[in-house]
This record gives sequence, structure tokens and C-alpha cells, in this order.
Amino acid sequence: MSAWREYLVPVVVFALVGLLPAVLSQYWLHIVILILMWAFLSSAWNILGGFAGQHSLGHGLFMGIGAYLTAYMANTFALNPWISLVLGALLAGLAGAFVGYATFRSGIKGAYFALVTIAITEAAVYVVSNWRALGQASGLSVPLVGTGLSRLQFDSKAGFFYIILVLALLAVLLSQWLSRRRFGYRLIAVRENEDAAEALGVDTLMTKIQATALSAALCAVGGTFYVQYFTYVEPRSVFGETISIQILLYSIIGGLGTVWGPIVGAAVLVPIAEWVRGTFGQTLSGLNVFVYGAILVLVMLFMPRGIVGVARSLQRRIRPRREGVEPAASSAGAGDTARERGGA
Amino acid sequence: MSAHLLAVENLTRRFGGLTAVNDVSFHVDRGEVVGLIGPNGAGKTTIFNLVSGALAPSAGVITFKGENIAGLKAHQICKRGITRTFQVVQPFPDITALENVMIGAYVRHGSRTAVEKAAQQALERVGMGHKAGVLGKDLTLMELKRLEIGKALATEPELLLLDEMAAGLTPVEIDDMLTLVRQLNAEGMTLLVVEHVMKVIMNLCHRITVLNFGAKIAEGTPAEISRNQAVLDAYLGGEEEYVA
Repeated sequence: MSAWREYLVPVVVFALVGLLPAVLSQYWLHIVILILMWAFLSSAWNILGGFAGQHSLGHGLFMGIGAYLTAYMANTFALNPWISLVLGALLAGLAGAFVGYATFRSGIKGAYFALVTIAITEAAVYVVSNWRALGQASGLSVPLVGTGLSRLQFDSKAGFFYIILVLALLAVLLSQWLSRRRFGYRLIAVRENEDAAEALGVDTLMTKIQATALSAALCAVGGTFYVQYFTYVEPRSVFGETISIQILLYSIIGGLGTVWGPIVGAAVLVPIAEWVRGTFGQTLSGLNVFVYGAILVLVMLFMPRGIVGVARSLQRRIRPRREGVEPAASSAGAGDTARERGGA
Repeated sequence: MSAHLLAVENLTRRFGGLTAVNDVSFHVDRGEVVGLIGPNGAGKTTIFNLVSGALAPSAGVITFKGENIAGLKAHQICKRGITRTFQVVQPFPDITALENVMIGAYVRHGSRTAVEKAAQQALERVGMGHKAGVLGKDLTLMELKRLEIGKALATEPELLLLDEMAAGLTPVEIDDMLTLVRQLNAEGMTLLVVEHVMKVIMNLCHRITVLNFGAKIAEGTPAEISRNQAVLDAYLGGEEEYVA
């Protein structure tokens, strides 16, 4: 399959999703916006956590940088949110590079990396909770200054929907593009075997720092969207460990290190959690978090490669002949598997 | 002196109080196969780690193509033209054989088409062309050993370091491996090999450096080494098990 079709599939899928505002109620449109927002954030996490195999449990930090910078700049300097979006991405990218450098240079990896990232984002909760300019524990609201694309504020949900639709599509296209590029292969090499990667000329430290910075910058963009949509941010709603875990949950359940995993994971999980919250919110508040936990445990036990992983092995079982007939076709190997890894 | 492709001078590496490599010097010329042998713990693999950049030396100079590379990182040394294989094979398990090799090929090529082509060629050189689409974790040990060399070849090294390529193989597979390595040398590849299987060393190497307790105790052709009394005492004469 040629490369352009790999990009055409997501464009077509997202274009079809783009028809939804015509048929969905405001409530369901809100659910789809949440799905796309989490899909976007989780795709950003997936670059570092899925492709490069470095499981950050602190990506709320980067989302929070984007959200708080946008809210603060709007309140203090009446700065346009699009400019804040870029500034937030840059600042979070720098923060990501710093976190990556500080941890990876001293050889911190695996569970220790996860612990350090939790510690950093928890520290951010307390710092921001005591920072007067950032509203301390009560947080910041975004002033309403008028609607329109240029102000990134809309009087209907459809406006936000199209913004996050395009962002999520760009995240999918970026993942797809990365998975066929040198940088993407280096991320995978780092995940699969660092010693071997280093011996084959991969600067593993630099690769991990770059992955952290890129992943962090994208998360900040998600943070800007978050605060523009909800018009309010407080420390726990972005920096808290619940958010950091939610960001990675969709990738793990959808399929770690796959292009579609975060999208599929969010599409399956967000509606379930929202339904539980809506139905049992009064009587059993917090049940939605319990449901997340239960689904995570079941997925880890029965489909550790996530939904996309299961779909891919089913696809192999249904069409085994295709691979059997032309196993040695010379250049077919990499293209096919790269596509399967991303596309299935 | 810098006429040698690789010149190791007074190389020393200490781990705390233990001197694993003690003042070792040797060289490798273009087109040669040089062997490093010695009993367990003699410092062979440490020398490999020092030359390939996995470890930094405590003292000494490693000159490659006239440049001191001692203390550079592994990926920098790989770019300069030295690539090593691992004694315990180190595949990337969740990607295909071709993609495994592509990671090496990306050192020399930027475009995906060029990388795939170079990787396919490297796979074919090690007799793995028909396994291109198989995942790393689904390969047999012999195939993984071939893949290990294929990955290294894809980085287009001028000096290839092979760490115990015969370990764990059956006698028939060892013969296949010998044929493969000889052919690489015939195509012009310079090799530095660490090996326990004496049949491989004696059949393959132009020159041999013998280590014991981290120090060099002898150097010469296979014929000279097999007559050297110090070597016989330290190593060859004593232990039947090494003469596979």
C-alpha cells in the first residue's frame, strides 16, 4: 500500500466524524468533544510512552502549563489564545526537554521514570496552589471576550468540536508520519532495546529528550484547548495524578505505540465513563473512576496489547494467506508491518 | 603508527579495585581478521566495550583512522565506522527483521526508500533476505545471530566487532557462521573477533592477541599462538573443554 493512502484513511474517517454536529444533540456533541480532546492528549503521550516506551505518569504537568499559561495571559495581557497556544507549547517543550534531560541523563528508566514524573506533576499541584498570580487553589477563569475562530471561543459547541477534530486529526497524521520516519524508528529502537540502539548509531539520550519535548509541547496544546472549552482551570483539574493517568489510559487500552490506539481507547472509554457518571453520579459518585480502573485491569489481563492489538491479531487470523503467499517479497516487509502497526 | 585502521595503546580499565584490562596494546589493519582470546574473565568483552564505546577507558588511547576515539559514546563511534555485535543477541523483538536492520541503515541514509534498500541488501548478505517480514521475537537463535550481523552491516562499518558469534550454536551452524564471516572478510570487511570456540579462531584469524587476567600475554599468527608456551600454560593446554 502506498504511503499517501495511510494518510487518506484518517482524513476520510475524521471527515465523516465531522458530519456529526448535524445529527447529534448538544450533550452527545459534548461527549464527542471530550473523546477527541482525550484522544489528542493521549496521542501526544503515546509518542513518548508508546513509541519510545518511556511511561510518563506526569503529563498533566504539560497539559497544565498550556492551560494555565493561556488563562494567565488572557487575564493579565488580554493575549490572543492562539499566541498562548504557541507559547504554551514552547514552554512545555522546554519543560519536557528539561525533565527528559534530568531523568534520562542520570539513567532513570522504567518504573523510576514513572515515579519521578508523578513527583514532578504533584509538586506542580502544590506550587500552583500557592501561586497568587495563578489564583492559588481556586484557579483561573478565562474571560469571555467575544466569539469566533480568531478568539478561539465559540457560542456553540460545534465551533470547539471542529477545532479539536482538526487537532486530533493532526495528531493521528503526525503519529502516522513519525512511524515511517527515521525519528519514529529511533523511538521504537529505544523502546525495544536501548543497548542495541546505541550500538547501531542511535543517540538514545537525545532521542528520548526530543520525544519528551515533542510529547510535552503537544500536551500543552491540549491544555490550551481544555481551558478555552471549559473556561476554567484549577490545579487538580490539570496537574493532578488522576489527569496524568487518564492521559495514558486511553493509549494503553486502545493499544500502546499504535497510531489509532489513543483514538480507539478514548472513543470506547469516554462514553462509558460519562454514562456511568450521568447515571450513578448522584448515588455513587466516583464510580466512573472505579470503572476506569476495572476496565484497565481487565484489558491488562486479557488483551495486554490493547484493542488495536487484538483487532490486528484477529485480522491476521482471518487473512493469514496474504502473509503466507508473499512472505519474501523484497521491499514488502517494512511497509506492510509499519502499516499494520499503525493502521489496523 | 596511524597507518593501522585501529590502534589500541596502553588501554586500561578499572572497576573499583579490579583492573579488568591492564595496559593492553594491539592493532588491526585493513582487511585483517584479528582474534581476541583468553580464559573467562581475561578482559575480552571489556576491551570490546571500550573500543565500541559502551564503556570509557580509565587510561589509554584508541586510535581509529588516525583519530582518538577513547571515551566517545557508542553511537558516535558507530557513526565513525566501528559497529559491534553482542554475545547475547540483542534484537528489537516487536518489529520485523527488515525494520531491525533499517535502524542500523538510518545511520547512513535519510530517505526511507534508500534505507529499505540498504537494509534488504544487508539482510541478503547474511542469508536472511527471505525472513525480512518476520518479527524479531519469532526468529531462531541462528537467525538472530545472522540478524545481529546484518544490523551491524547496515551501519556500513569499516571495522566490525563480533562478540562470540559461535556461542550457543551447533557444530553445523558454527560452520555456516564461519562461512559467512569468511565471506564478509573476502568482500573486504575488517574484523575484530572475540571467540571461545577455538576452531573458529584458528580457522578465521590472521593474527591473535591472547589475554589473561586483563593483560596481553602473547600475540601472533594462529600457528605461533598454538606453539606459545605462555599461552599453553594459561589457556590452551590445560582445559580440554575449550577445544571444541
